[in-house]
Parts: sequence; structure tokens; C-alpha cells
Amino acid sequence: MTKKLLNLLVVISMLAIAAPVAVAAPPVQDGGQDYVVVKDDWLSKLSDKYLGNLLAYPAIMELTNQKAAQDSSYATITNPDLIEVGWKIYIPGATEAQTFMAAYSPMAPAEGPQGETSIVILVPEDPTGFNGLVTDTGYEQALMELVLLGLTDIDPQGEFYLELAAEMPTVENGGVVVDEDAWTMDVTWKMRDDVVWADGEPLTADDVIFTWNAIADPEGGIWAEGLDYTDSIEKVDDYTFVVHYNTVYPNYRIQFGGENFAVWPEHYCDASQGFVAWDCNRQPLSSGPYILEEWATGDYLSFVRNPAYFEAGKPYIDGVVVRVVPEQSVSKTMMVEGDADLHIWPSESVANDYLVAPNVDLSVSPSDRWVMRLFPNLAARGSVDPVENPHPILSDVQVRQAIRMGIDVDTIVDEIFLGYSKPVWTEFFRPPYICDITKPEYDPAAAAALLEEAGWIDQDGDGTRECHGCKTGAEEGYVMSMELTIYAEYGEELELAQQLVAEMLGDIGINLELSMFEGTILWADYESGGIEQQGDFDLDMWDDGYPGIDPTDHIWYYYYSEAAEPDWGWNVGRWINEDADALIDETYYLDEEYRQEMFCELAALLDEELPQILLFSAFDGAGYSARLQGVQATVNDMVTWNVADWKIVQ
Amino acid sequence: MGRYIARRLLQAIPMLFMISVVLFALVNIAPGGPLSGHGRSRRIRPEKAEILKRQFGLDKPLPIQYVIWLVGNDWMRVDADGDGVTESYGERRGILRGDFGFSYRNRQPVLEEIADRLPNTIYLMGVTLIVVGIIAIPLGAISAVRQYSVFDIVVTTLSFMGQAIPEFWLGLILILIFYAWLNNPFTGAPLLPSGGMQTFGMGFAIWDRIQHLILPVTMGMVGWVAWYSRFLRSGMLDVLHQDYVRTARAKGLSEHLVVYRHALKNAVIPLVTIFALDLPSIFAGSLYVELLFSWPGMGRLYYQAATGRDYPMLMAILIIGAGFMITANLLADIAYAYLDPRIRYD
Repeated sequence: MTKKLLNLLVVISMLAIAAPVAVAAPPVQDGGQDYVVVKDDWLSKLSDKYLGNLLAYPAIMELTNQKAAQDSSYATITNPDLIEVGWKIYIPGATEAQTFMAAYSPMAPAEGPQGETSIVILVPEDPTGFNGLVTDTGYEQALMELVLLGLTDIDPQGEFYLELAAEMPTVENGGVVVDEDAWTMDVTWKMRDDVVWADGEPLTADDVIFTWNAIADPEGGIWAEGLDYTDSIEKVDDYTFVVHYNTVYPNYRIQFGGENFAVWPEHYCDASQGFVAWDCNRQPLSSGPYILEEWATGDYLSFVRNPAYFEAGKPYIDGVVVRVVPEQSVSKTMMVEGDADLHIWPSESVANDYLVAPNVDLSVSPSDRWVMRLFPNLAARGSVDPVENPHPILSDVQVRQAIRMGIDVDTIVDEIFLGYSKPVWTEFFRPPYICDITKPEYDPAAAAALLEEAGWIDQDGDGTRECHGCKTGAEEGYVMSMELTIYAEYGEELELAQQLVAEMLGDIGINLELSMFEGTILWADYESGGIEQQGDFDLDMWDDGYPGIDPTDHIWYYYYSEAAEPDWGWNVGRWINEDADALIDETYYLDEEYRQEMFCELAALLDEELPQILLFSAFDGAGYSARLQGVQATVNDMVTWNVADWKIVQ
Repeated sequence: MGRYIARRLLQAIPMLFMISVVLFALVNIAPGGPLSGHGRSRRIRPEKAEILKRQFGLDKPLPIQYVIWLVGNDWMRVDADGDGVTESYGERRGILRGDFGFSYRNRQPVLEEIADRLPNTIYLMGVTLIVVGIIAIPLGAISAVRQYSVFDIVVTTLSFMGQAIPEFWLGLILILIFYAWLNNPFTGAPLLPSGGMQTFGMGFAIWDRIQHLILPVTMGMVGWVAWYSRFLRSGMLDVLHQDYVRTARAKGLSEHLVVYRHALKNAVIPLVTIFALDLPSIFAGSLYVELLFSWPGMGRLYYQAATGRDYPMLMAILIIGAGFMITANLLADIAYAYLDPRIRYD
């Protein structure tokens, strides 16, 4: 009885788990044969019977269809689940089947007519659509690059390149005219005249103006860079238009392009639905290299080559499938197994795995954008006024300097971020604005001395300093203990970095309690209880950086005094500095040399005052299959920026 | 019985109303909001946040937001362009007229999005529950009948393991074994797919669908099978010692009849209640299974809505889920009455 039960158990467990593995020794049939379908036959059954494998049924199906193409007595099987009694089909021999199945891979979507090539791109979440201005998770932009064009874009080296524009307007070529007295400017754009939408309609200046008006519509529009500076756009002819600005706007070159902006078709999009919600956002009409074929929400999007694409012969690859795979370890496995061709933004540890995987390569952006940084709150917790209520610890610049000296950035970068990050200590570290600021030294002894000097001394010997004559207005004996907050979405690496920072600062007598919040809580608006906007933090750590190559607005939003008002900017450390305001005002000019000078003066001021403590760059890269050629990750755009140039090499 | 059902359905209306008030308050009061960035846009430019706030209707006091959510705003004038003048009628119809609003995330009607995902979830969870029933009931019944036998001990051990195994880890291991390690000896392709509902570009094929179901169903069912079989085992043990089972035996009925007609039918009654209460998961889906196997279902939709503070989507899923819950409770009671003639509702 016992034995019988055990047998039963084995059978059950085999059925439950191993059924598909059970491949019996094949009753080998060499040489193919014709077969007439009888009642109760189905393909996988025949496949099991004659080929010894349930899963080899595609061999029967495809080879029968091949015969049917030459000899009409054979049936044509379109649906493997449907065969009719009396059909003549062809059952291949075992070797023939094996050869066929070795070449046949239903996992790879490279099926279809002979010679078609197709790649699979993995994204972790369902993109909201193709409109990068409405939602900016990065994946909308990745999709947008497949189907839509802008006037200009920025390449991985930080240089502008033209898409729809025929030339870049500058002061020299007369494209930019500045009215020095009124302090306004006009920019004339000349567009290519050989670009058409996928339906054959020409892409003209009307489309650009239509797009801009839809964005600027107060009801259904959205904010875009340059919106506040643009008075109107005027059409000159079908391929020329003039933009009238109410000020001098240095970043005009990317206003109608870049990673977020695309030109939308006037004859296709319904302006009455509003820019943010029009159906175009999910069913775009292409001007770019690919056409959206099908979108299965939450599952995949498939694209086919746009035959009307203006670059002759491109794109080289016929089809693109974007698959939503939320779990990174699954994405990694699919890449390594060869079932996917591109993994956008793998974590540092997965990137490391790609380096050693034989069939996966890694592309790393040549420059960096996101910088992990500490935001010290200069106002007391819960207050937004650093003058009336200064932070008991962080309002003293010597303390901030000591914190910077006490953190060994090199170790964090090497140990946790596996060398994919690089130490960064100034906002002006990447082209075109690079300022010569000396790299701060890691020196815990000097940091400790600085804290002593600032009046933070550990008299009770518990390892944490207290205020004894400190200059922040904190009461005598106030313990140097604070909260260090991070956001949850970055993942394990940031948590480790947080622990390491706490340990290092613990060594110089600053005690840090660790906490972690979702980004939606940390960065929410004041009313929704946003931790930063409400000033309800001591120190927080996360990564940010500016898109494109113009830092002006980014700098304004982080360091200008007005940006310290809740919900009016991101100066959430409430750093108020008149000199900085004056310098930032001076950067809204066109003269590049002057801008550079102003930025570098500001860089020196920031280095002294430390309203933020910049630590290291965050990794930006993509894993791609070795059969793919031309992939180049970039912080200036999504990795799909040059998808039309990609090739498959066997 | 008909009157009883009608009464219960009428009671559900005020209940759903109360639930909706509480949920609306909770969802909105919870820290964080839809105006912060997600993904790589850590922060939203203040100018953009202002526009979004107006477009989402978050510029109005919470009670008004609730009223609009409930009955719409097409009967009142709104300030659609933010110039301070209320010049046009709103466009929302409110959930009472079937308008659950649009998702903050992708500006699509919430119901459309749910209608996209729901069939996928019902499909996966339905198959899972059926498989659970097919496996758990015999396992539980046999181990009770053969208490302390080797079979019982093995099943008991396995079911404790099944309950103890972290679902997510189990899924990862399944993918590792059946996708990464084991290959189809004929094609050299992975034995089972890593996720998704079907092979892209293949069209509908039963075998392909089954292949895509095997791993997620296995991952989803293990905990359930363990728990149901344990539950049935103890229920069955209880019933087997009842007088009416002894009577049945004394009548000279075959052991088979005693066990499967008299004992099992009674032991299953409490299980039916539990099963009915688990039914709403057919609507809710299983987040871990969907995340791991890239299944486009309700669990992921809800998770996405919760992390992105997509209030309309959250509210719709929660309210419809509450409706399912109430219905499932009612079903449990009805099924109970049907299976146990001693129970009467009047």
C-alpha cells in the first residue's frame, strides 16, 4: 500500500511539475512520410507519435505548408490547433524534424517573410504613450524616438544635430536676431522639405506651429521648455517659421526637439482632445523610422519599418518589439538567453553581469548627467525659513564642509557602484560647461577638527558630538544627530550607499538615523505632504541632473532664492544667497564665453557654501545583444535615439 | 431565498457608499501625491505641476473632489484654462453614471484600462483556482482518510513547505529551471517561456497558451494548494468521526461511498466559504506572479496606480474590488445554504 501511494505521489508530482519535460525516447522514423489525417488526430499527438516530441509539431506544420506550396494535394495548415480529417500532411523524418526545429525558434519574433529582421527591447513598465512632454519616465521618450522627429537633437557627445531642421539658426547665419534695446529675440527656423508623414502628407512648418499651439493651450496643453519665453510663432512659408521671444532665450536650439519634444501631425491629431490626452499620444502617425503596428497594453508594442522614412535605406532593421518585463532579473535572464536585444538602464550589478556574458554587450554613456547628492536642509525641520529658524546643525557651513570631508566617495563608487559611477563635486562637470574646481579630499581627521572648531564636541564620550558653543543657535548640549533620507525606487545600491555614508559620518561623531521614502512622497508638492517642499527632513540623498546641455534652468531651480518658496522651485535646502542670484541672472545671455565665466564663478561660490554636497554620477547605460550594431547609450537622450542606424550582424 | 438575496443586494448599496467615502479620504490623505515625478523625472517643474493640478481637478477642496468623482461636473461651470473665470461646463459624468474618470498616468478612461487588463487576470486566476481545486481536494481528502500514512506525512510536509516558501522566490527558481536551464531537446529553445501570455506574433495557439500558463499557475497555486489541502484534511478528519459517518458505515455502505459521498460532501462545506471569499482575487490578480511573469493583469495595474498616486485608477479598482467582495460574500452564504440544508435564510 505504502509503495503504491509513493508511486502515486511520484506520478502526481511529475504531472504537476515535470509533465512538459517528459520526453520519451523517440520512436525513430527516418525519412519523411505522407500521412492522411484521421479522427482524433492533432498535430502535437502526431508529433509525439512520429517524432517523439510533442513540441516538434511546428516541423510538421511548416514542412507540410512548404510541400503544399508546390503540390496542392497537400493541405495548408494555418492554425496548428485545427486540422481536418482527410487532409494530406507531411510528417518529416526525425533528422529532418530536428534540423528544422533547430533553426525554428518560436520564442524569437523574427518570424514572418524570409529575410525579415526584428529586435526585442525590454522596458520595465508599460509606457503611458509616445508623448515625452506629458510623462517623463524615460520610456515614453524611448518610444518617441521610434516614431516621431523633432527639429534638432543632441548626440552622446553633447553636440547638436539636425533632424527636421535644415540648418541650425545662429546669430552668424542670420537665423537669430537679438533686439538689444527691447531685450527680445527672433529665431528663424528653416526645415527640410523632403520629410513626409507615414500617410504621405508632407511635414511642414504648419505641423510645428500646430504642435506648439496645442502645447500652449491653457486647457489641454502642458508646460514645455521655452513656453514662458515664447510670444508667438509665425509661418513664413511651408518650410520656414519665425519664433518671437519676449526675452533672450539661450536654450532656443533644442526648444523644438530634444528628448521630450516631437512634431505632431496637424492633419491627424485632434486638437479638441487636448495635447495631453489626444488619441495621437497612443496611436501616433509616424514621421520617424518605425510605425506602431500593435499595442497590447501592459504586454508589448510592435513596430514595423516606415517605408516613407526620409533617410534613404534606413532603418536597417525591419521590426521592433517593445516588451514590458517588470522584473529586472527576468530581463537579465532573457538577455542572456538571447530572447531580447536591448535592456535599458540595467542596475550596476546587472551591467556587470552583461560585461561577462558572451552574447550581451554593454553600452555606457560617454558623459554623465545624474549626480547623487546630499541636500542639507538649512532651515529647521518643518520650517521653510532659514533666517528665522536656522537648522540647528546644518545651517553652519563648517558642518557642511566637514560632512563633505568625512565621506569617502571613491570607496562608495568602487565598492557599491562597481566603478560605474565617478566622483563628482561640482554642477559644472560635463560639457559644455566644465569648471576647474579642485576635487575635495577625504580627510576624516580634518573633518573632525573642523567640527571641533565649529563648536561640536563629544564631551560625554558616547561617540556623538554635542553643541558646546556651536554657531547655529542650537542650545548647549544639542546632540549632533540627524536623519538621512533616501528614496526607495533606486534600489539596493542606494541603500548600501546610505549605510556607508552613515558609517563614515558616524566615525567623525555625526549620528545619522536612516530612513527611506517613495519618490512620490519625497518630491510631492507642499499640500500633498511632500517631505522636501515642507522642509521636513535634515539630509536627503538622491540623484538629479539637467536634460540637454543647458544647465541654466536647472541651476535657477536649485539655487535661486525665489526657488526656495514652497512649490516654486527645488531649492528645498532653502539656501538664500544674493551673490548667487546675481550670477544666475547673468547666465541668461547668448554669449557663450560670458555664460561660462558666470557659471564658473557660481561653481566657486557653491563649492565654498555647499548648499548641496555632490557625491558621484549615477550610471547610465544599456545592455544589448552582441548581434546588434550601433547601440550607443547617452544621457542626452534615450538609447533609442539612433535606432534607424542599428544593424543586425550575425 | 429570492427575498433574502434582494435584501442583501439592497444592503450593499449604502455599504458601497460608505466604503467609497472612506476609501476616497484614505487614498487622498495618504502622504505623497500625483504631482511629483516618477521614473527619471524626479521632480516636476512647478509650472507643469500647476497645469497638472488643474487638469486633475486637485485644485478643489477634497469634498468637492469627491462629489465630482461621484456625480460628475457636467452640471457645473469649471475653470478649464486656469484664468480664474469659470466659463465652461465640466466633462465628467461621475461614477454613478459609469464614468470613473481618466487615469492620471496615461489620460485614458480608467474603465477602458481595467477592461483591457481584467480578462487577462480572470484567465490566469481562474485557471489557477481550478488547478488548485483539482489538486488540493483529493490531496486533503486522501491524507485525511489515510491519516498518519506515508502519503499523509509526505503531503503534510509538502504543504507546510508550500505555505512557507516565499512566492516570489519560488517564481524566480521556476524561471531559472524551466527557462534558463532546461531546453527543449528538439529546438534548443528554452523549455518554457519566461513570461507574457503568448508568443508574440504567433497568433492564438492552445499549446502556446498552455506553455505560458504553466509557470505562473504553478507559482500562484502552491500556497493555495497547501492551505486548502490542510484545511480540507482537518475538516475531513472532523467529519470522519461524526455519528452519521459511523451510521453510514453501519448500514454497510462501501467505504468509497462513505468517504466520497457522505464525508467529503460535508467536509467541503467550510471550504466553499473560504473559496468564495478568495474569489475576489480573480479580480485583483496576484501582484508577484504578474510582476515576475510579465503578465498584463490587474495586480500590476493596481500596483502602478498605487505607487504613482493615480487616484482615479486606484479608486476604480478599490470600488470595483469592494463590489466583488460583497458579491463573493453573498455567494458564499448562498452556496452554504445550498450545501447545508440545515441553514435557512429568511
